[in-house]
Amino acid sequence: MIDFFDVIKRALNGPYYSEQDFTLKIMVPKLKAVIKKYGIRYDPATPIPSNDQLADDVFRAGLELCTEVGCYCKDTSRVIRFTADEIQEALRDAPSQPFFGEGRDRKAMLARKPESSDPPYCYVGAGGSVVTSEDVFVRLVEGYGRNPLSDSITCPALTKINGMEIVAGSPLELLACIRAVELGRAALRRAQRPGLPIMNSIATGVTATGKIGGSAFGLRDTDCWVVGFTSPLKVQFERMNEVAYLLARGAQLVGEASEPIGGFAGGPEGVAVISVVYHILSILVLRSSVHLTFPIDIRYGCNTSWEIMWPISVAAQAISRNSHHPILNLAYTAAGPMTEMCLYEIAATMTTFVASGGNIEFGGVAKGTSQDRFTPMEPRFATEVAHAAAGLSRVQANEIVKTLIPKYKDRLSNPPKGAKFQECFDWDSIQPCQEYIDLYGQIKTELAGYGLKFK
Amino acid sequence: MSTDKKALLDELQQAVIEGDGEGAKAAAQKCMEAGIPPLETVEFGLRDGLKIVGERFEKLELFLPDMILAAEAGNEVMKVLEPAIGASNMQASSPGTVIVGAGKGDIHTIGKNILGMLFKLAGFKVHDLGEDVSATTFLEEARRLNADIIAISCLMTSTMPCQREVIKLLNDVHERDKFKVMVGGAPVTQQWADDIGADGYAETAGGGVTVALKLVANK
Repeated sequence: MIDFFDVIKRALNGPYYSEQDFTLKIMVPKLKAVIKKYGIRYDPATPIPSNDQLADDVFRAGLELCTEVGCYCKDTSRVIRFTADEIQEALRDAPSQPFFGEGRDRKAMLARKPESSDPPYCYVGAGGSVVTSEDVFVRLVEGYGRNPLSDSITCPALTKINGMEIVAGSPLELLACIRAVELGRAALRRAQRPGLPIMNSIATGVTATGKIGGSAFGLRDTDCWVVGFTSPLKVQFERMNEVAYLLARGAQLVGEASEPIGGFAGGPEGVAVISVVYHILSILVLRSSVHLTFPIDIRYGCNTSWEIMWPISVAAQAISRNSHHPILNLAYTAAGPMTEMCLYEIAATMTTFVASGGNIEFGGVAKGTSQDRFTPMEPRFATEVAHAAAGLSRVQANEIVKTLIPKYKDRLSNPPKGAKFQECFDWDSIQPCQEYIDLYGQIKTELAGYGLKFK
Repeated sequence: MSTDKKALLDELQQAVIEGDGEGAKAAAQKCMEAGIPPLETVEFGLRDGLKIVGERFEKLELFLPDMILAAEAGNEVMKVLEPAIGASNMQASSPGTVIVGAGKGDIHTIGKNILGMLFKLAGFKVHDLGEDVSATTFLEEARRLNADIIAISCLMTSTMPCQREVIKLLNDVHERDKFKVMVGGAPVTQQWADDIGADGYAETAGGGVTVALKLVANK
């Protein structure tokens, strides 16, 4: 695979385009052209298709698009392009079974296939959602760590440090990044799982300075570090700086991409194809150990809608059938904790991810935007559903998802907010209240009736 | 409205919906030649067409590139009609001028881009300042463009303070009354908007346009 210096060279010397021309004159028409060429059609009746030909066509369309379009560097207005041979070489050389964590919690993430009975790797926690205090941060992370099915942790983001609101790019951000790492590690020690990897680097940070500075206070090379593209098919030096730092450390990273349905990629077909392009660029540009795909429905700020499930599933099938580089799928629910809707949303997304060949990240609750409105219960439920979904056929998964989404789809635009952590968990024991336990049990029983085999 | 007139306005509307700049320009020319008052062409041909584009976007029948092409087709229409309408009437035909940008430290642009396009479709004159925009830049650009509304988008909690900083700066330079300030973005809430003294907040881009129209109507 070409090395990172070559990527930087291309970011500095590749063909010049204005950002608008790259998007509207290069990316959009070529995306439409490959969708037409490969006859890719969204089928609203089947959120999880069982069509291998469709999955492979989406992958081929993505390969072709990646070669023709490349990745736009926002800092230089240059396009980083790769030849078809370089792309094939990257797919051949990409990591296939990276290990994360230490001691008893060291574990490999496998590149699963659709319908695989291999248990998914479960990367769970807050999905970077925000908390009001350090106390809430520590209790949540301890709660995540206590879930035996948690393989790695996504920490929350702090909003204040020493009573002061964190301002991006200021010294407060750097200090808060340091604090977040210290708190995360301490909380996992409290959970008796000090080796669990923290996989979202430092959600409190925005800048490379904050994240790199903060990482020196406790992040390990065996953790992982989420580094993201900008939509559509763009990268910034700020993110490439993080890559350079991680490569020098020999540390792992998750390449992340979130493409909204309805945005520049268009509808479900475009989102599926562009997700494949991100996967390839993740290997080449971000030098990822694994790739995280996160299509989102911007109408609702979540990815549990009927329309978003097809591109999520098709992209996961396309990638997992044709690449040995592991993938994660991230879920964001619209509804908040201790609501039926939230649990149905989680069940629908986990079933889709796992049956389609993905590993899971969970996640954002209540759109991941409401302070303290998430608990350790939703990730626990997500991991249990994800394990229960391993081995389901796509036909079975499709039927389950078709049963679940109608239960909440009319409420996506006005979802129930649910309860805050402090309202539905005991503060000292970090255990859910009886009402939440009852609801969790009731929904699990219902899901078992649909064919999910809980252990 | 006569059948011929309606057919011409429908033709213009259709060209705008399809993002066909040349077709929209030709249709606007035909409307002029048929003697349809230009402001009527704007209202019932262009504006209605752009409104339909916005509605179909909400239903995922059209996407962001379609909105951009429709807005560009709208620009072609205006090039034909502007000389006949005259500058003062042009001003009257637009609800107002908006500057949009993602706050300091924030590099997330998709929500802000969609908001900007929906503003354009609603007839606003839109100046997009891009991402990572400082409070000073918001102020200076608002002054330069004599904006009616400053719309600040933030996707991160740590960039939200920029929204408050803009309002603080406007107060400090005694220009708070000159501009309406709207705030939005995933972590932003009505409570936050109230706390920092913003004039408007909406959870969605579509809702943002409704709020903006109310703000300019009450200005």
